[in-house]
Amino acid sequence: MTPDMDFPSSLPGDSGSASPGVWGLQSLGVQVKQVQKPAGEKEAREILAQAFQGRQTVFPCGGGTSLSAGVLPQSVDLALDTTGMGKVVDFDPLNLNLEVSAGMTLDQINEFLAGQEKGFFLPLDPPWSSRATIGGAYAANSSGPMRLRYGTLRDLVLGVRGIDSRGREVAFGGKTVKNVSGYDLTKFLIGSAGSLCLITSVAIRVYPLPDASSLCDLIFGTLEELEKFLAALRSSILVPSAVVVTDLAGGPGVSDTAGIRFRVMIGFEGHRLAVERQNRDLLKLAGEFGGLGDARTGRDMMIEGIRSAVDPGRSWRDPLFLKISVPIVQGPRTFVALRRVIHDHGLLGKTALFAANGVIFLYVEGVPEKTAGDLVKDLRDLVPAGGGYVAPVLAHRSLIERWGARVEPALHQVAFQPIKERLDPTGVFPPIL
Amino acid sequence: MERDQILKKLQEIVGDPNVLWKDVDLAVFEYDAGLDKEIPGFVVFTRTAEEVAQVVKLLHGEGISFVARGSGTNLSGGTIPLNRGVVIELSRINRILEIDLPNERAMIEPGVYNLALQNTLAPLGYYYAPDPASQKVSTLGGNFGENAGGPHCLKYGVTSNHILGAEVVWPNGEKVWLGSKAVDPPGPDLLGLLVGSEGTLGIATKILVRIMRSPERVLTMLAIFKNLEDAGQTVSDIISEGIIPATLEIMDNMMIRAVEESMHAGYPLDAEAVLIIELDGLSDGMEEQAQRILEICRKNGVVSTRRAKDAAERADLWAGRRGAFGAVARLAPSYLVCDGTVPRTKLPAALSAVKKVGQKYNLAVGNVFHAGDGNLHPLILFDDRNKEEMERVHRAGMEILKICADLGGTISGEHGIGTEKLKGMPLVFRDSDLEMMQNLKTAIDPKGVCNPGKVIPRA
Repeated sequence: MTPDMDFPSSLPGDSGSASPGVWGLQSLGVQVKQVQKPAGEKEAREILAQAFQGRQTVFPCGGGTSLSAGVLPQSVDLALDTTGMGKVVDFDPLNLNLEVSAGMTLDQINEFLAGQEKGFFLPLDPPWSSRATIGGAYAANSSGPMRLRYGTLRDLVLGVRGIDSRGREVAFGGKTVKNVSGYDLTKFLIGSAGSLCLITSVAIRVYPLPDASSLCDLIFGTLEELEKFLAALRSSILVPSAVVVTDLAGGPGVSDTAGIRFRVMIGFEGHRLAVERQNRDLLKLAGEFGGLGDARTGRDMMIEGIRSAVDPGRSWRDPLFLKISVPIVQGPRTFVALRRVIHDHGLLGKTALFAANGVIFLYVEGVPEKTAGDLVKDLRDLVPAGGGYVAPVLAHRSLIERWGARVEPALHQVAFQPIKERLDPTGVFPPIL
Repeated sequence: MERDQILKKLQEIVGDPNVLWKDVDLAVFEYDAGLDKEIPGFVVFTRTAEEVAQVVKLLHGEGISFVARGSGTNLSGGTIPLNRGVVIELSRINRILEIDLPNERAMIEPGVYNLALQNTLAPLGYYYAPDPASQKVSTLGGNFGENAGGPHCLKYGVTSNHILGAEVVWPNGEKVWLGSKAVDPPGPDLLGLLVGSEGTLGIATKILVRIMRSPERVLTMLAIFKNLEDAGQTVSDIISEGIIPATLEIMDNMMIRAVEESMHAGYPLDAEAVLIIELDGLSDGMEEQAQRILEICRKNGVVSTRRAKDAAERADLWAGRRGAFGAVARLAPSYLVCDGTVPRTKLPAALSAVKKVGQKYNLAVGNVFHAGDGNLHPLILFDDRNKEEMERVHRAGMEILKICADLGGTISGEHGIGTEKLKGMPLVFRDSDLEMMQNLKTAIDPKGVCNPGKVIPRA
């Protein structure tokens, strides 16, 4: 496995040709023979057309934050670094849509939007948003806590442009909010992890910055209190933008899951009066279930608070980053069970539950080679078949190889494999899940 | 296998009375709410997913095409069986299997009416967001196939945003599950592909949907304008201001008159256009938001505004809007409803261009549409016994689609391509795009038996 190291700090290109995605690919055990970093779509088309002719394999990568969402091959002829394609293609503030090249990072997009005369934002907040590119987020179906209010990329994407395995331009969707012309490939390609085409630009819905925002920060002493509170919150008329649960016993150096306490961060956005009222109502509701905490207003505080709850930080030492999804009500208990597995394996980790979505992020480091197989089994056993998903986002190839099928074999046979064979007959792109 | 043998096999699966085979019976199923007609080979009424799977397996084995059908409210010919294909009727598979409030999900069968689900959820304080105007009769299976929209999709998204799983009978008769109560299945979004694929990639036999908590308050307003373009500009300005109401719906004078004659919804007969504006959510701050909207209306020359005083008045306003297509029967025997969509800021230009198309072809054109989504619904009125007029209607319809495409929009916002808009597909897609779609179709349905001849034009 990889030695201790930090994720590069000044990117791209702080170590010769290494861009974050290529660096990440190599550190996860993929042998890269050549790197290309096209500056635009035309150049990317030429590269892919040549790869098709020469029967080369190509692995598209952006910021390298979700490389294991798809299949990691043992080696690739060409790593295609998209971070050279990082510009705003078109911004239409009156229609609330933005088209950007695939290599633009989510933070760059939000900086651009916030800098407009009337401020806007893109409510897409997966971890490492300073490195995660929009193309990579699309390919990996990345999301963050604000999916509660705004949905995921399947709710935000209006159109997509790409290059097929023969090097030809393709485009689907557009810039209208409704569109049923032809098959919805803008949705289908989400989560395809570069296995079917190279994404070159994405048109997305953006939102005006809200009048007011707040962050409620609560502590609950027991799992039972937490569950009751979350159930009451879901059945209330409150409309939070994000609900994130972390645990106070989960920091580095804490070795026990007994006596766990839960920290719940809840963001509200909207009209000032609605935000103020929700703060009051929420604190009252929390108090009924033993929750203690406070509410603070301010957008930066809300964004930073929620971001800090899910961001794994800069370390990159044998990373294992998983997304676990279960039915909403099972979230808290799965969250606790997950902590127990990590503890039993003697690992340190960070977990965050998006409580109203049933999604848990798990980030651990330094998984020993000899127990990796047992860990994978224990993690997969947390979610019964058909009851949800345990999906790698970042993990070393050797660990992924122990994973087994990530898609139902029947589905792979009747759908994914035939689709892959038709869309990428020579196998230019990495295998499909 | 001969026709008689196929009939016998179908009867063995679903029972004798559940297969229609006489031409006189089949004629009832030769059309949907679009203009095209084709008589089916058989109509098979199924009652379970297992029966659907067995029928599909038989037809797939014999290389006979089939199309799934619910209430037949499709507006683009999507449920027309080409080449005497078999209609697989799903309207009797119509149970609401589960309402899971804690997980905010409902599992339903494809023959459940959209409104039946809404009526089940409302007393529980929940609702299902997509609400096509046809919701009284359109089935959720049909909504799945067409990726149906509706007035409230402006704020809450269309059908595909609310579908989380489905049991699907694949074109070869195999049953597969896509998605679950948990979100984000790994891999490409196959469910996202199937929703809106117009039944060309499989048949949904169970559907898992997201349900939502009903809002605390709903405020419905009616704004009356002296011309259609001003109403369109108002919509664009409201959204640009950063306000996203639950709905923004426009109706022009021709439609207002038809609706008022039909059901007395309370629209002023002298209005050139009315705009229905609905806000929902928490009551705090809603009044201030309503005032901002009224200011925008005034800036755009609104003649007058009013609010629904109570639930009954609100229901009347919506009954008029939802009944608009039906009310057109008072004006002409037939109509073609176009479904082009444009960026909202292009609404005034699009409406003006549509008006000119009506004048050019000497056709009456009414407008009732989802303005907040930029989704136009010009209704071209005609008499289908007049073949020359019908020809003009088709040419006018295609011209309207081209206008939408040229304005940066698309040719269908929610009604689908079906057979009706196949010729319009090159307006918005190039060969390589269509080839990728065809490759997907061939990968999933290599024999081409699952509702062929729809969505993708022949190369």
